[in-house]
Amino acid sequence: MNYTGIIGNNARNSTNRTLLQYIQKHFGGSDQITLCEIADVPVFNKPESHVAPPAVAKIAAAIEQADGVIIATPEYDHTVPAVLSNTLEWLAYTTEALKDKPVFIVGASYGALGTSRAQGHLRIMLNGPDLGARVLPGQEYLLGHSLQAFDEDGMMVVAEDIQSLEDHMKYFAEFVKSNQGK
Amino acid sequence: MKIIGVIGTNSANSATRKLLEYMQQHFKQQAEIELLEITDYPLFNESDDQSESALLTGDAKKIEAADGVIISTSEHNRMIPSSLKSFLEWMSFKLHPFNNKPVMVVGSSVTKQGSASAQLALRQTLDAPGLGAIVLPGNEFLLSSSAAAFDENGALKDQGTIDFLGTCFKNFLQFVKVADVLNGVDEMNFEPGTYSVMASGHNGKVPMKVTFSENRIENIEIDTEGETTGIADTVWERMPQQIIDGQTLNVDAVSGASDTSRGVLTGVAEAVSLAGADPDVLKKRPKPAKNVADEPVEYEADVVVVGGGGTGLSAAATSLQAGKKTILVEKFPAVGGNTIRTGGPMNAADPEWQNTFDALPGEAATLKSLMETPDEKIDPEYLEDFHALQGQLKEYLDSDKHFLFDSKLLHEIQTYLGGKRQDLSGNDIHGDYNLVKTLVDNALDSVKWLQNIGVRFDPNEVTMPVGAKWRRGHKPLENQGYEYISNLQRYVKEEGGQIITDTRVKKLLQQDGKLVGLEAENFDGQKVIVHASSVILASGGFAANTKMVQQYNTYWTKVDDDIATSNSPAMTGDGIKLGTDVGADLVGMGFSQMMPVSDPVTGELFSGLQVPPANFVMVNNKGDRFVDEYESRDVLSQAAIDNGGLFYLIADDNIKATAYNTSQEKIDEQVAAGTLFRDDTLEGLAAQIKVDPAELVQTIKNYNSYVDAGKDPEFGKDVFDLKVEKAPFYATPRKPALHHTMGGLKIDKQAHVLNEAGEKITGLYAAGEVAGGLHAGNRLGGNSLADIFTFGRIAAQTAVTEHEELATDATTSASHSE
Repeated sequence: MNYTGIIGNNARNSTNRTLLQYIQKHFGGSDQITLCEIADVPVFNKPESHVAPPAVAKIAAAIEQADGVIIATPEYDHTVPAVLSNTLEWLAYTTEALKDKPVFIVGASYGALGTSRAQGHLRIMLNGPDLGARVLPGQEYLLGHSLQAFDEDGMMVVAEDIQSLEDHMKYFAEFVKSNQGK
Repeated sequence: MKIIGVIGTNSANSATRKLLEYMQQHFKQQAEIELLEITDYPLFNESDDQSESALLTGDAKKIEAADGVIISTSEHNRMIPSSLKSFLEWMSFKLHPFNNKPVMVVGSSVTKQGSASAQLALRQTLDAPGLGAIVLPGNEFLLSSSAAAFDENGALKDQGTIDFLGTCFKNFLQFVKVADVLNGVDEMNFEPGTYSVMASGHNGKVPMKVTFSENRIENIEIDTEGETTGIADTVWERMPQQIIDGQTLNVDAVSGASDTSRGVLTGVAEAVSLAGADPDVLKKRPKPAKNVADEPVEYEADVVVVGGGGTGLSAAATSLQAGKKTILVEKFPAVGGNTIRTGGPMNAADPEWQNTFDALPGEAATLKSLMETPDEKIDPEYLEDFHALQGQLKEYLDSDKHFLFDSKLLHEIQTYLGGKRQDLSGNDIHGDYNLVKTLVDNALDSVKWLQNIGVRFDPNEVTMPVGAKWRRGHKPLENQGYEYISNLQRYVKEEGGQIITDTRVKKLLQQDGKLVGLEAENFDGQKVIVHASSVILASGGFAANTKMVQQYNTYWTKVDDDIATSNSPAMTGDGIKLGTDVGADLVGMGFSQMMPVSDPVTGELFSGLQVPPANFVMVNNKGDRFVDEYESRDVLSQAAIDNGGLFYLIADDNIKATAYNTSQEKIDEQVAAGTLFRDDTLEGLAAQIKVDPAELVQTIKNYNSYVDAGKDPEFGKDVFDLKVEKAPFYATPRKPALHHTMGGLKIDKQAHVLNEAGEKITGLYAAGEVAGGLHAGNRLGGNSLADIFTFGRIAAQTAVTEHEELATDATTSASHSE
């Protein structure tokens, strides 16, 4: 499979970045995974032209060529961080890149909950008519205590976390395939 | 009643904005509603903290002062707009003005939902602990189909909608009063008494005693015995004062001493817990109020110096010796800059003194090889001096004398050759002849001048600082860098100079092309203006400003984002910016010096096991050696960068004994802290540092065989001492750290700052690391102290002379006009 991973954070140190980089490494044998950063996306200001700035166009192109998209979201103040919703606002306003695109949501948090509230909100956003993505239903990958989840080289240390991630990725691959048939 | 209305959109013409503007008008009898825009907020980024900007602190203050807040939101993709979310993230990061604040949510949408989904999410967000607002329950005001909802005067058209908004607002005003009762929670109840805790200082634990009455922190006593003096003193003094005055733990760290500052806060927080109260409540309280007067503080001086390191203090002292009124402005709470961190030796050729020492084996060979350097390797302007040096060397080598040789010419040529470098694009650089000549001709005078001020040098030892190439180091008898700073500071004060600390210079003031002073801001945020006809920039380099180093770098293949520095955190290149703002030219900015064997996190040299290079065994993250450990700093640094930056110094029990920086107690502490690795086997050590055990064992086996053979066929190391064989084994993590930035403002030999046309900028002088051109591409160890005390003095001498000329001019023209 050919996936695009979106790192939903602009912080220099983010365990969501580590998580996606780990996914890229761990599944690199079978899947090709391209990662996108969103720190360079400018502040969304509803330009009259409806033209995507270069940073957004680049992400849109990466999404369009992919079979599926994996979004890693942090949770700030019980919801999706501004920097990620900002990117989604641009994508909704200037492109249809996520329309009918299979999406798998993951998230890592320092605390126990693993961004569950942000993921719930992100699901609602992606399901809305302006984005219209096809979010993998019935599956949530929540990585709690993310500072302890990786070693210094960014490898996951807990076997169950890895197993669970592999299961989720299998479901997602099937979901992508079943969507491609349509 | 005072209410803040947050317009939750950055779009100029939206119903969200109209709705709040309408409320402001419509309810003006009941409450004063001040509208707050979020358009200018940058997108939140925790790695680029803006919490101290005027915009954020100003808005936070308004929210804190208000009785309640109304937030108006629109809906993007079923959520609140990212601009509003970003604003809330800023307000929940370091500032917490929404804590316990009554908030009313209203919203609108052009479609039917009326922002229902966004409002729901907004309520959840306001509940988050970083915000901690108290949101008015029920009373959901959802304005749908908003495009048609307002008339041309911006008033709502539908009477039913107006009435419902009125009801909601009335309920909110009632709610604000109820919330006041809830806010009683903020009141602290301590178990009165005195509690002992340990704060972390720079040198370990510091005992603290915190005394509480029923509702207040009454006293904080810190036992600072065993802590170093200097900047930490400001922490011990300032932080307890602020905590007690403001009854808050939301207190800023003291610049340059953030670890120690954090230690104090953690210590008091622990005491609060012991006294049975919740420290989190104190952490969320507003920062202590600063009493900022609107009027700037103004000073008059003949000469104003920017920066309180060795350069600035010697410039100030020189200006005072000439009888000039002198002010020195330092942005940190204490003077000292980088000078206070140095190991101490200062280069100056003093043959009379050096000749009393015996020559060391090998020194004659070094001189001979220098003498035989072919002319084509020497740039034309240095040729005449080089030939003269050849004559001196020939005479010395032909004689049968066995004393230590030196001369100004040797110092000059070594400084010049040491600074010759080529960058990645093939540009060559070497030291400006006039600057190098001025340095070597005056360095010894600087030593004598310092002695007169009170600095004591060790007459019995002529040292070679690391990377100095020759033994001409004058070493303070004790206290290293502190010896220079403490004496100069005392002298400046005694002579009536004024040192203003905690004050950051913002811009230089110019009138008719001449410097007339500077504008700064002090700790309280108050504007400070110093009127002076001469400004001396002595603010140091920019090794603590990684972004700036990356921006200019043309020498290293890579400068990591998280590279450490051996410098004071004050070295952020402020003076370079101040200079270029008034048209100064720059020179050599792409070159910088790295210290290859530094602590990966702190940049410090003296952590782990620092042993003589003959005993260095450096391995990369694969467990392989990668360089001749005896190489120069530049080669070691680049080799480390090529190998991913991080590497390890491997040692055994015997090599450990040659470490000159540590004690068994410190070693055990570092092993426990995980900053130094120790194991009884090499395999175990390899596992700890995550390299292949077989690979590391093979590497060490090979190294040991090279020690036996006295020859290293892999990397050509030829100076060996000990093998790695006796357990326990050690691995010290190391990484190159930024040590000195070579480039800076372009100056002439009198320390005038030059503009791009090569002309002097009248009244502006620069000296020390803020200036470039002298050391060019690389600097000899021991030459920066020679530089700062020589050019610091020269800058002041020039300024003083020209100040007198200016004064004479002014008198002359005044008498003409009579």
